[in-house]
Amino acid sequence: MTVTVRLFAALRELLGSSSIACELEPGSRVADLIERLTEAEPDLEAFDPVLRVAVNDAWSDRDTVLADGDEVALLTPVSGG
Amino acid sequence: MSVQHWIDISASELTPDPVWKWLAESEGGGITVFLGTTRRITGDRETEQLSYEAHESMARKEMIRLAEEAAARWDIMRVAMLHRTGVVPVSHASVIIGVASAHRSEAFEASRWLIDELKVSVPIWKKEHFTDGTTEWQGDQWSR
Repeated sequence: MTVTVRLFAALRELLGSSSIACELEPGSRVADLIERLTEAEPDLEAFDPVLRVAVNDAWSDRDTVLADGDEVALLTPVSGG
Repeated sequence: MSVQHWIDISASELTPDPVWKWLAESEGGGITVFLGTTRRITGDRETEQLSYEAHESMARKEMIRLAEEAAARWDIMRVAMLHRTGVVPVSHASVIIGVASAHRSEAFEASRWLIDELKVSVPIWKKEHFTDGTTEWQGDQWSR
């Protein structure tokens, strides 16, 4: 299955893209996706303690099971206003 | 009944005039319009401009949730939450929070709560562009 990873701000700059398509085994969880991305970009590890996740615009967590076509946003601490 | 809200995220310049006029249509007795603006001096550093980036669809959803929660907490008539993206020069507004209510205290309290909560949970990020040429994304920790 394929999910779309959305990246913003510091993570967008780190991974060099605002959107990445990622192939995962069916039944994969958010944690598997983060592990996969960290293998490809080890510097992602530095953000790991503060990383939050939204799947299809809803706050989620690392145990969330992903489905084909899901959009997964990786969010660093926000700083709007 | 859900509160009347005006939620927007856009790269356009933010001005308070259309906001207070829309709030005034509620015909209540009090209106607050708060502008968050780009600060020149932070500590010993000088800012040239800020730039903002948003997860727009989620940010809109989160701002609507905050407007509705404010209406559940206070007796308010209208809520405006507008956030600018892209470059915001010093002294220009990056955010406007407006509240209309029958009596002033609800407008003051709700608008203070709305800007504080926006900073806690709405997925928008700020980058400092300092006059020495360095840049820095803000936001080290989630405040909640």
